Amino acid sequence: MVIGSGAGGGIMAKQLSAAGFSVVVLEQGGWGKYGREHEYNKDEWLQLNLSEDDRLMSDPARQRNTFRRSDKEKAVAGTHSYGCVVGGGTVTYGSSSWRHLPYEFKEVSTDPTIPSGTGMADWPISYEELEPYYTQAEWEVGISGQRIQSPFLAPMSKDYPVPPVPLKSSGALLYASAGKLGLTAVPGPLAIITKPYMGRAACVNCGICSGYGCQVKARSSSAVTMLPLAEKTGRCEIRAKSYVREIAVDNAGRVNGVVYFDAQKREVRQKAKAVVLAANGTESARLLLMSKSARFPDGLANSSGMVGRYLMLGNTVTANALFDHPLNEYKGVISGAAVVDYVPSDPKRGFYGGGRITARGYQTPLDLGLNGLSPEAPRWGAGYKKALREEANHRMTTLSFVTQMPLETNRVDLDPDVKDEWGLPAMRITTTSHPDDVKNMEFFRKKSIEILEAAGAKKVWAPPVNDARGGAHNRGTCRMGDDPKTSVVDKYHRAHDVPNLFIVDGSVMVTGGRNHPTMTIQALAFRAADHLVQNARKGLLRTSL
Amino acid sequence: MKTRSRRAFLAESSAYSGAAWVAANFPAILTAQKSAQQGGLTFFTAEQMKEVEAIVAQIIPADETPGAKEAHCQYFIDRALSGFAKASQGAYTKGLEDLQGRTRQMFPGAARFSELSAAQQIQALTAIEKTPFFNLIRNHTVIGFFARPEHGGNFEKIGWKLIEYNDSLNHKPPFGYYDAQALAAKKG
Repeated sequence: MVIGSGAGGGIMAKQLSAAGFSVVVLEQGGWGKYGREHEYNKDEWLQLNLSEDDRLMSDPARQRNTFRRSDKEKAVAGTHSYGCVVGGGTVTYGSSSWRHLPYEFKEVSTDPTIPSGTGMADWPISYEELEPYYTQAEWEVGISGQRIQSPFLAPMSKDYPVPPVPLKSSGALLYASAGKLGLTAVPGPLAIITKPYMGRAACVNCGICSGYGCQVKARSSSAVTMLPLAEKTGRCEIRAKSYVREIAVDNAGRVNGVVYFDAQKREVRQKAKAVVLAANGTESARLLLMSKSARFPDGLANSSGMVGRYLMLGNTVTANALFDHPLNEYKGVISGAAVVDYVPSDPKRGFYGGGRITARGYQTPLDLGLNGLSPEAPRWGAGYKKALREEANHRMTTLSFVTQMPLETNRVDLDPDVKDEWGLPAMRITTTSHPDDVKNMEFFRKKSIEILEAAGAKKVWAPPVNDARGGAHNRGTCRMGDDPKTSVVDKYHRAHDVPNLFIVDGSVMVTGGRNHPTMTIQALAFRAADHLVQNARKGLLRTSL
Repeated sequence: MKTRSRRAFLAESSAYSGAAWVAANFPAILTAQKSAQQGGLTFFTAEQMKEVEAIVAQIIPADETPGAKEAHCQYFIDRALSGFAKASQGAYTKGLEDLQGRTRQMFPGAARFSELSAAQQIQALTAIEKTPFFNLIRNHTVIGFFARPEHGGNFEKIGWKLIEYNDSLNHKPPFGYYDAQALAAKKG
């Protein structure tokens, strides 16, 4: 049984069914409406207005959640939303596929800039241990990119299977600026194929990209890579619109199945010998907390009290610029190039933090018209039309993906008052970034402005920095570790408290890297599947049934 | 620059939004507008439509290029109110009424918004530009202007032409000026 069909769940389903196990995948979302080449029409408006059935992201009006800054506050209605469709967040994501760097697995023991009193910890596994699985993920999922030796990039044992996406004008400007400033710009690895690969066609640079399902299946989402292979084994059944409310346990404390709501909100019980939980870095923790029993009164697998804690939602920093000549960023994928010099933390800056500055400028017509002009531009009338004419296609944006430290006080729990549309306790998010995280965001804001100015921008603006209140890069709430008192799963993703429960998504991440989690989740999933299969074959799963 | 001076001239003459000017400059648009009107309205009365048309014409005005009215944003909105924006029907009925009230209050003697001069219309809309109704019709106008023509607006891709958006299903590099330059430099 696999709960969730995204980056982690899709790989687990495919690996387990290929190894001969019977797998049922329960996915909260529907099948989605995309990837149908015969209906390919680039209709931005239709895709912004998908019916409830065709939605690709969760709806905070139905999957209700609440938000507060600290325990002292009463939570207010939240805006947290995540991939909610067969294929999960990989259906709509920007597709960045950066590996973590070797030192990101042991920052506490190697990085003197980390302040005390945070939840920063070394991972129980090393980069070297994970490297073969990174390679496997890149080749099985289908990642485009260029293998480059640099202290700012993870070392790779093999090239990417397909070359990087073509240079965009935002990328060209980033390279030019990096050249002037003595910085390192590189093509970003993307889960978007640039050549026909494993039966899928290459990206056609249509420009209806991040936030939408790929209409030609060039984005290597779980839905067009892993899940079809899993189904092809004849041993994997994917049940969409299946919203799990509880993971059930027997008297011995072993998982024996789940209870879920089907599309008609009817309760269904499904037995399982083992459960892989891959519902995302916030929902996995919530489901464990909802799965209370006499044996686990504080929630399943939560004897440590750590389930839901160390939430990292993922901070980003934006800066914008206008240039003299057209960039036409509406063509092509969302992003291609990044400045990587500030990935490592640096004691000279006076705080802990790092990140990547990615180039983009992505503006489809509706996006531009509704909210895409510079802040002072009029919203209607002759001035609005003039601004449309002048700014369209001339804008570049940098989006920096930056560190956020895990803090015990930042967490997911169950809201005591608010219920979701199914009558279950709403997710409550409590989060405030560490002061160093905020200083780091300020640093990236400043650097982004410098880069855009050096690129020759005629106008630059950057909104004030703000930490995330929700979002698809959520991680950390079921952290991995050797000590059952301070972590939820062991180094092989097995819950310390429950021998036949495995958690394989962003929630196991000990630290957040530079806020590009998907490739690491995928590598971890391939590794977790290997160990699960080996243990099951040896009869070590200790199942209930 | 040629276009600048032409725009300046049009602005001064303030005759650029008149039907005669549109007819002279965009004859095809006028023909199609007539046929669209004959198709019938799904929500607005003919009277309301006249007002909506006047409003959208100020939200994205015609100058040397056509604006929201020429792009049929008013028909897009009419269709939307029987479709995806059904829930906004009441907001439109009330919003249009309120605007007439505002018109009579600001310009005693004026019967309706659509009969005001362009400068007066802009004044009236400026007075309500912070209201939810204005925001609603502004956004619907923008959506009608830039969504695919199949949805009833963006007639003859007027919106896309304004922003030089190429709606081809696929693109090939070079995409823009700067990557083209980089490519040329690489080639030598």
